[in-house]
Amino acid sequence: MELYVAALGFGLISVSVIAIAAVGFTMQFGITNMINLAYGEVMIVCAYVAFYVNRAGVNVWAAMIAAALAGAVLSFLLNRFLYAPFQRKGTNLIGMVIISLAASLILANILLPIVGYDTSSYQVDQGPLLRWNGLVLTTAQIAIIVVAVLLMLAIHGLLRYTRLGKAMRATAANPILARNCGIPTQRVIDMVWLLTGALCGVAGVVAGMNSENFAVASGAAYLITIIAAAVLGGAGQPYGAMIGALIIGIVTELSAAAIAPEYKEVVAFTILVLVMVLRPQGLLAKRGALAAAG
Amino acid sequence: MPAALNPSLLVAEDVHRHFEGMHAVDGVSIEVPTGKITGLIGPNGAGKSTFLAVLAGTLPASEGTIVYDGQDITRMPAYARARRGLVRTFQLPSEFARLTVLENLLVAAPKNRGDSLWGALRGKGYWMVDEQPLIDQARGLLKRFGMTAKESDYAGTMSGGQKRLIEIMRALMLKPRVLLLDEPMSGVHPSIVEEIHHYLQELRREGLTILMVEHELHLVERLCDSVVVMAQGKVIGSGTMATLRQQKEIVDAYLVG
Amino acid sequence: MNSYYAATLAVYAAVDIIACIALNLQFGVSGIVNFSFIVFQSIGAYTAAVLSMPPDTANGAYQVYIGGFQLPFPIPWIGGAIAGGLLAIPVGLVVLRKLRSDYQAISLLVLSVIANSVIMNARTFLNGAAGIAQVPGPFSDQVDPLSQTYQLLYVGLTIPCVLLVWLVASRIVNSPFGRSLRAMREHEVAATAIGKNPVQLKMTIFIVGGVIAGLSGAILVGYIAVWAPSEWLYPETIILFAAVIVGGRGNNVGAMLGALLVPVGFFEVTRLIPATIGGWVPPPNLIPAMEWVAIGLLIIGFLWFRPEGVRPEPRRVFGGAPVPEDLVSAGSS
Repeated sequence: MELYVAALGFGLISVSVIAIAAVGFTMQFGITNMINLAYGEVMIVCAYVAFYVNRAGVNVWAAMIAAALAGAVLSFLLNRFLYAPFQRKGTNLIGMVIISLAASLILANILLPIVGYDTSSYQVDQGPLLRWNGLVLTTAQIAIIVVAVLLMLAIHGLLRYTRLGKAMRATAANPILARNCGIPTQRVIDMVWLLTGALCGVAGVVAGMNSENFAVASGAAYLITIIAAAVLGGAGQPYGAMIGALIIGIVTELSAAAIAPEYKEVVAFTILVLVMVLRPQGLLAKRGALAAAG
Repeated sequence: MPAALNPSLLVAEDVHRHFEGMHAVDGVSIEVPTGKITGLIGPNGAGKSTFLAVLAGTLPASEGTIVYDGQDITRMPAYARARRGLVRTFQLPSEFARLTVLENLLVAAPKNRGDSLWGALRGKGYWMVDEQPLIDQARGLLKRFGMTAKESDYAGTMSGGQKRLIEIMRALMLKPRVLLLDEPMSGVHPSIVEEIHHYLQELRREGLTILMVEHELHLVERLCDSVVVMAQGKVIGSGTMATLRQQKEIVDAYLVG
Repeated sequence: MNSYYAATLAVYAAVDIIACIALNLQFGVSGIVNFSFIVFQSIGAYTAAVLSMPPDTANGAYQVYIGGFQLPFPIPWIGGAIAGGLLAIPVGLVVLRKLRSDYQAISLLVLSVIANSVIMNARTFLNGAAGIAQVPGPFSDQVDPLSQTYQLLYVGLTIPCVLLVWLVASRIVNSPFGRSLRAMREHEVAATAIGKNPVQLKMTIFIVGGVIAGLSGAILVGYIAVWAPSEWLYPETIILFAAVIVGGRGNNVGAMLGALLVPVGFFEVTRLIPATIGGWVPPPNLIPAMEWVAIGLLIIGFLWFRPEGVRPEPRRVFGGAPVPEDLVSAGSS
């Protein structure tokens, strides 16, 4: 039993990490209609930005801000100079997916000669242990959860209560209509890439902190967990991604305790397959997740 | 067969289509008169195209029953309805862009020995016996619609009006019994509108049943034997254009805007 | 270039050509973005391996795997092809029935990564990350695999497979069935409206592609004698996509050309890069990493500048077609 309570603790941190990552990923898809398969690699690039800042003696939490900036800039550039031109050209959904996968390959292999194949890890002051009913978490781990909760609240506030958030929702629902209603969709989309890029950067750092070490090769594993959470919640739905992260995070950590940790992704994948078979539109999906195939 | 014993080929009973809380089609019941041309009119957003898509199976019905040729086809997939002769066209261009014009027609032929994996593997010698008559049939249609010279061009390079013709010819390659046309004349050059007009009348003489969504009321008046008016997902009237013009609420709802 | 090297190159080229033709049937002709293509090649390789190898207890059990049937050629190759086709059935049923095309692509990508991680972690199944070694090739009990004769023999066994796959693919592409596949690729909803069952079409070509991919894996494993998870990481699929995009989507000749230009071409080019450039020794990771960058750039560059590839899909003109108008007017003036 203790094992499972401990697993639940790990689960909460996983949920936090996945939620930050998956919300950014799903917002890119929901608002700009772009399944960005380079997302996992952008996370890794940002994780390494923070790594070098951290190694230079800066506190990892401050390094996280550098990573967020790096993620925002990189994602913005990726869209401005690669995705958006292809979308303007009328490239179809399949073409865009292939392009983002090519971008992922390029990013990973530019990074590799710079940082090498070895794993890296942050210097984190874990702080005192906090215990509660068998749940044992370090202060740093609690801080990750707090960061995630704050970011989710910020996203909620943004989408619900700000003009920009409303413009984002309008653009997601119908970009042409939104433009005709006087919404500067181009600027909105730029903002989406900057904001989701920042989330991606933060996600890269917390993922690196959570998994003890990370390497360029971690990008694919990150991406798969993110896809699972996003699809589970209903792709393009920020709140769906949060729920998806909750389910994937808890279930994978419990299964790691019950079966073996190396099958975490397999469990995530199994959930994904079940969702695709039983409810392909995801738990919260309202639109666009699937087309009538027959 | 006497008309009394010849029930309508296509009957919709209380058909609904809900989507995201919207009732695009809200309880439509119609019997499409066999061997006639029926117009489906109504303001934008009345649910006409959605209803057509539900009849063809492109969209599933949320509730209600669709009976075709005496058989309940409500749960039948779209491709199976098309194979049984219930064929639709689309409001937006839906040509196979990187197939030639002739291929766009040939691909729709329902029977071709080469249109299965095993048939294909047996080679051209096996399926050419089916293919050649189809090529002749397709060329006949192209000639009729004045597109003979375009047969080897990619369909994607055609004009909007030509694409619409391609789509109608493609539907005819299936030898349909009921044709569901979604604004077949929109974007078509006036001279070709006349051509389509004549051709549809000819098809009616041959016994084809046609249900068409159309905005141009003078075309509807000239071509359709009867008209169904939809507004806000419901049928608000039906009959000939002349009788409909007498009904105030219909005129208010649609005919004058 | 010695004859061993020539044989190696020929076998790799043949395997890549077969794989690219299969991927072209799925992606180029039918529009299915099979991002787990390499998994199908891999199941063919593993199946051929365990069909041809002795039981794992034979060599002091230094490697662990299921099966070990010691079956003679051509059973391992046929078995590899069948395995590829069988795997396509459940995968296709989950992925191809209801999902939108970009969802299909990411689901297949996820499958590829997960399958690799499962095989890598499950050591008792196919020897885990270390992979299977000492896979006996066809007739290796009768002809010394290190001899020049054997190299020729292997190339001789491979070429008929290429020809067979070529025949199958060209018959499919040039038939009314191929036309239906292309129509589905162009506009799935419209294809459904003219009576095509898209699920059936996709499943059929997914299985055909799976069979051919499985065969390519079986051929490769018999020659290189080893198969491990590092051989079939998902980027390997991207190389094949690059090949088909460069060569020309929908064109079998293009797929073949792409196979020779991209995977084989890169393999050759790497060999020509000197170990030192003007006294500077590049770090060991740099060259392979830059190759991957080049593959990515190749995909993006072609999709931007020449999306139809080097050899575009041919336009099909039928016998007895009228002479195009522009030629008529050119002739009469």
